[in-house]
Amino acid sequence: MELEKFNYDNKTVKWFAYATLFWGIVGMLAGLLAALQLVFPVLNMDLPYTTFGRVRPVHTNAVIFAFVGNGIFMGVYYSLQRLLKARMFSDFLSKLHFWGWQLIIVGAAITLFLGYTTGKEYAELEWPLDILITLVWVVFGWNMFGTILRRRERHLYVAIWFYIATFITVAMLHVVNSIEIPVSFWKSYSWYAGVQDALVQWWYGHNAVAFFLTTPYLGLMYYFIPKAANRPVYSYRLSIIHFWALIFIYIWAGPHHLLYTAVPDWAQSLGVVFSVMLIAPSWGGMINGLLTLRGAWDKVREDVVLKFLVVAITAYGMATFEGPMLSLKSVNAISHFTDWTIAHVHVGALGWNGFLTFGIIYWLIPRMFQTKLYSTRLANMHFWIGTLGIIIYAVPMYWAGVMQSLMWKEFTPEGQLKWQFMDTVTKMAPFYAARAIGGTLFLIGALMMVYNIIKTVKQGSFLAEETAEAPALAKEYHQHSKDHWHRWIERRPVQLMIVSFIVVAIGGIIEFVPTFLVQSNIPTISSVKPYTPLELNGRDIYVREGCYLCHSQMVRPFRSETSRYGEYSKAGEFVYDHPFQWGSKRTGPDLARLGGKYPDSWHYNHMLDPTSMSPNSIMPPYPWLFDDKVKVSEIVGKIKAMKRLGVPYPDGYENIAAKEMEKQANEIAANLKKDGIQTMPDKEIVALIAYLQRMGTDIKATAKN
Amino acid sequence: MKANTFIYRIAVLSCIVLPFSGIAASGTVTETSTVFSNSLFNILLATIILLLIVNVVLSQALKNIAQSDYIVNKLKENKEKINTIKPLSILLLCLFLTNNADAQILAKRDWEIGGLGLWTFYSLAGIILLELIVMIVLLRLIKIALGNDVETKPLLVAKENILLQKLTGAVAIENEGDIMLDHDYDGIRELDNDLPPWWKYGFYLTIMVAVVYLIHYHVAHTGALQLTEYNTEVEKGKQEVAEFMKNAANNVDESSVKMLEGTDIENGKQLFISTCAACHGKFGEGGVGPNLTDAYWVHGGSIRDIFKTIKYGWPDKGMKSWKEDLSPVQIAQISSFVKTIIGTNPPNGKAPQGDLYKEEITVSDTLQVDSMKTNIKADTIKVTASSK
Repeated sequence: MELEKFNYDNKTVKWFAYATLFWGIVGMLAGLLAALQLVFPVLNMDLPYTTFGRVRPVHTNAVIFAFVGNGIFMGVYYSLQRLLKARMFSDFLSKLHFWGWQLIIVGAAITLFLGYTTGKEYAELEWPLDILITLVWVVFGWNMFGTILRRRERHLYVAIWFYIATFITVAMLHVVNSIEIPVSFWKSYSWYAGVQDALVQWWYGHNAVAFFLTTPYLGLMYYFIPKAANRPVYSYRLSIIHFWALIFIYIWAGPHHLLYTAVPDWAQSLGVVFSVMLIAPSWGGMINGLLTLRGAWDKVREDVVLKFLVVAITAYGMATFEGPMLSLKSVNAISHFTDWTIAHVHVGALGWNGFLTFGIIYWLIPRMFQTKLYSTRLANMHFWIGTLGIIIYAVPMYWAGVMQSLMWKEFTPEGQLKWQFMDTVTKMAPFYAARAIGGTLFLIGALMMVYNIIKTVKQGSFLAEETAEAPALAKEYHQHSKDHWHRWIERRPVQLMIVSFIVVAIGGIIEFVPTFLVQSNIPTISSVKPYTPLELNGRDIYVREGCYLCHSQMVRPFRSETSRYGEYSKAGEFVYDHPFQWGSKRTGPDLARLGGKYPDSWHYNHMLDPTSMSPNSIMPPYPWLFDDKVKVSEIVGKIKAMKRLGVPYPDGYENIAAKEMEKQANEIAANLKKDGIQTMPDKEIVALIAYLQRMGTDIKATAKN
Repeated sequence: MKANTFIYRIAVLSCIVLPFSGIAASGTVTETSTVFSNSLFNILLATIILLLIVNVVLSQALKNIAQSDYIVNKLKENKEKINTIKPLSILLLCLFLTNNADAQILAKRDWEIGGLGLWTFYSLAGIILLELIVMIVLLRLIKIALGNDVETKPLLVAKENILLQKLTGAVAIENEGDIMLDHDYDGIRELDNDLPPWWKYGFYLTIMVAVVYLIHYHVAHTGALQLTEYNTEVEKGKQEVAEFMKNAANNVDESSVKMLEGTDIENGKQLFISTCAACHGKFGEGGVGPNLTDAYWVHGGSIRDIFKTIKYGWPDKGMKSWKEDLSPVQIAQISSFVKTIIGTNPPNGKAPQGDLYKEEITVSDTLQVDSMKTNIKADTIKVTASSK
């Protein structure tokens, strides 16, 4: 057979590597700022762009989609070409993919700082960016499949199975979760409401972890571990079983983010049991990674790359064991809404994604620049300082999470809640400070790496086109009689993609369809009415400022919660909530039953300076709400959009909405005046107060009748 | 060595059993009966079991490694030390813990951590600590056994493989050519090792757990779903409070509350500053809420009226109910303090709201008149609310 000569494209890999480093630092800085804001609220700087509610989505989006995203593409573009013995399909698509992705990131950063958000965690980007993401993702898939179809290697290696599953599943998750009705260029409403929105969102949120942070990185692990250790992969059989089991089971586990909420019991139970069944498939990856190092442990002691990879796999193992534990209802009753979850995800993000990325970069850069790493000593220091950073981050957060949760639940013998919510917040300060220190250490380590890489790049000479040769694929393939049955699909990339798609689609369909079709899952409550136009505007402000990042709107059925907040939340209360705002973290108290709890003037003062009404509060002030006016002209479009989503406003309501708005605003302004507060009724604060006073009151009305 | 192992096992076992016997013996029946429904307890117990398994695995590993004579000699010194110290210390600790339990029974049991008695919590935490220590010791021993000694290395590698083989069913590295597949991806080869048995059976186990779980809750309906759980919890809470209140001497409510004096007023002042001042001002001059220092009252100015207002709130007017946050005694203290600041006329006082209230002269009169007043008031409010 004749050998064909071709070149691997290293340039795209290099650009993705640089982007990974750059956005990694940016994302970590945003995280550090958010962490410090919880210790020193003054760092919110009284500006809309720098408050926690906007910094936090910038941090999560930057770290997930910019840092890890670019990390995925870096690793995929490097390994895919070599595993297939083929150059990337199209240099143009590679360029388009790279710059398209960076454009999305820049667009994301700008819009999130400006407060354009859908209010759905990790899917905050507004509809124009959602479309752009879809397009760029298709470019990535096209480029990848083009390469696969032109391959010179008959069978696809396990890493590529993971890449294909990632591609198809992320596409599905993104499209389904992002269905929304645009109101204006930067504002849309989720197509789903309440319980359904929650289920779809956490199906997405959970599987963003699964198929953006896990499966592509498992693929990378399957390439870079055997490469760096120069050892054969431990078990082919294990690869097959854990791959299919993992992608099938992962999809189902989403509802474990919604335990003890208004989601139907059967959906919660599915979330629990599939999380439990997820332990073994997840650990399959860890075992295959660690046991591949069998016989190379002496190398791990020496080689800094392997050190990073080993800690990454270990962190993966810990996080994927902890995840199912957190999904048990009795544990979740304690851990949910606390910093325990924050600790859990950071073991995964810093340990698994962070360290695996670092290891790969330390391995790749010297190879592509035909030199040695500038300083192994510095890389070793990075390893230790990074590990220390993870520990100092995670341990205080675990401790604080459990502590705070137990304080929330504690009763005195007389039957009163032992602690005011604020007592538990003040207790958190030292832990938040320790966490910020851990994060700082991790960031310092990353900066050391950037320096090390810059120096390495400077001393080396870049090999943009790496020549390789391999025979072309024969037209016909003669199967070996003793071939493993799974080899069949490894030769058929399209079938592999289709089967993967079917496997990942099952879980979602079974969980969603009944909640959409079967009435009993969301019992209607007749007293629950659509929001008034002013309340709707207030709600949009609530979403824009990211209130849901610190406040939940979900009173769980526990004695401690109904005592503290009021009647537990019912599914029927959220039917007009596009998007749902249940939240996932209680840095501040739950707000589901806030309406009517305090006078209007309390909210007015509190939003201007939280500490005036609630001493020791770490909530940022929102002074711009007192200057900015509600855009009255938009209400027509908003009401129309809501009607299209099935919210039962009367016919022609959009035409009188502005008037209704004015009327309600005047009432609130008059009410404020009674307490000596002068404000114009057209200010945003008035709309926000209207929404806050409405929250959870519909159901109180029934109780009175 | 055998004897030592025996002592060790007994010690570990007793450490697990003793706390329970301690709980049972201490006669805290309520705690024993509910201890398994306590999440913290379950977590601690799970940790204990997990660590125990880890320790057993590690000691097996150590045993495997230590089977070579060389290592036995090498470790003899260390091992003897540890093997005598370990069981002894465990037993001592257990004894200490049981003694401690008696002391705890004598002490008033008003200390709790996460719904667990202090003794239960610390003994469980103690066991975890102990297991961690044992684990560290074992790890150290393994590390010594697998030390960097060049001479022993081949032997140790072989031993390590025996352990790994046992755990994973892996083919030894020397023989891995036998299971090497003809796959070659950019130089990456693949072995065809069998699935590690513990992994495989673990997987089956989780699937079984899943099936049983679903049957338990959704087919047989034998498990309590969240609302049933909630009702049970609330009912239990009510009973406990009622039980406590029966014996509580200082129990008050809106019909029995009286003006307090001395340190109670001082406590009331502290509570007022921390919970009331945000809305009513530091000196009661008013702000978001009404002025409390003038003679006018929206919901009545008697001690009973004030107590009632704080306890149940006036949710329509923005006064929240404090009965879930403050105990009856605390509410009485605040009410009494509020009575003492009437007429102090602090700066920036808010304009009067409500009706002029005059203190009645005789106690018995006040009782009747007050209750009449509140009745009338409540009716008026109802009327205004419905007319709206």
